[in-house]
Amino acid sequence: MSRSYPASLPIAYVVLRLLIVANIALAVAIAALLLVLPHEAWILQSLDLEPGPKADRIIAGMRAIAVIGIVGCALNHLILKRLVRIVETVRQGDPFLPVNARRIHQIAWALLSLQLLGIGVAVIVRLINSKEHPIDIDSSASIAGWIAVLFAFILARVFAEGSAMRDDLRGTI
Amino acid sequence: MITVILDDMLHARRKTLTELAEEVGITLANLSILKTGKARAIRFSTLDAICAALDCQPGDILRYEPGARSGESAAAD
Repeated sequence: MSRSYPASLPIAYVVLRLLIVANIALAVAIAALLLVLPHEAWILQSLDLEPGPKADRIIAGMRAIAVIGIVGCALNHLILKRLVRIVETVRQGDPFLPVNARRIHQIAWALLSLQLLGIGVAVIVRLINSKEHPIDIDSSASIAGWIAVLFAFILARVFAEGSAMRDDLRGTI
Repeated sequence: MITVILDDMLHARRKTLTELAEEVGITLANLSILKTGKARAIRFSTLDAICAALDCQPGDILRYEPGARSGESAAAD
């Protein structure tokens, strides 16, 4: 069934595709950073650190944050791919499907995981931060993020009910 | 299970399924879905149109049979 839909939909589709590419590039960049991190002399020089327990702690913290970053990129990829599939079903004219309810549920769990990872990053930054060597890394944890998690879980439920109603309607003559 | 019995009334009124579908304003495919018991539900407007076209009462074309629920075969598709 073809019908007109707002311009926001094709725009969203293109933006999602671009974000997927950007996210992959970010993951590659973080992975490259992890490869560089073992070359501690270079890191120590760039951070103006002297070899010792403090420097070891900072480098270990940065490695942990980089690993968390890669996990975050994987979660972003899951979210973006699910959103692309959902947009495709809207274009096909039938978004209220059980599979979309499952996709949104998965997105909700991924968003929750991202919030928890953000807390992890904030904890690590707090542990390695100091006046002498301030570490400025945004943990991206926010109230808006938690609201988005709740919103996604609720929307998943809405889609589950909507797909059941759609199923009933499909069999109604 | 609720079944829609159209054959007797169609024969009595000398109408074909295609003619009934045109008069009622639904597709032949949907009317066939009704006739074969695959529909989950029927709108009152559809039932009203069928009864008007066949000059009958709902009880003349609807029958209840204990057993599987209406539209379950459709739900399994």
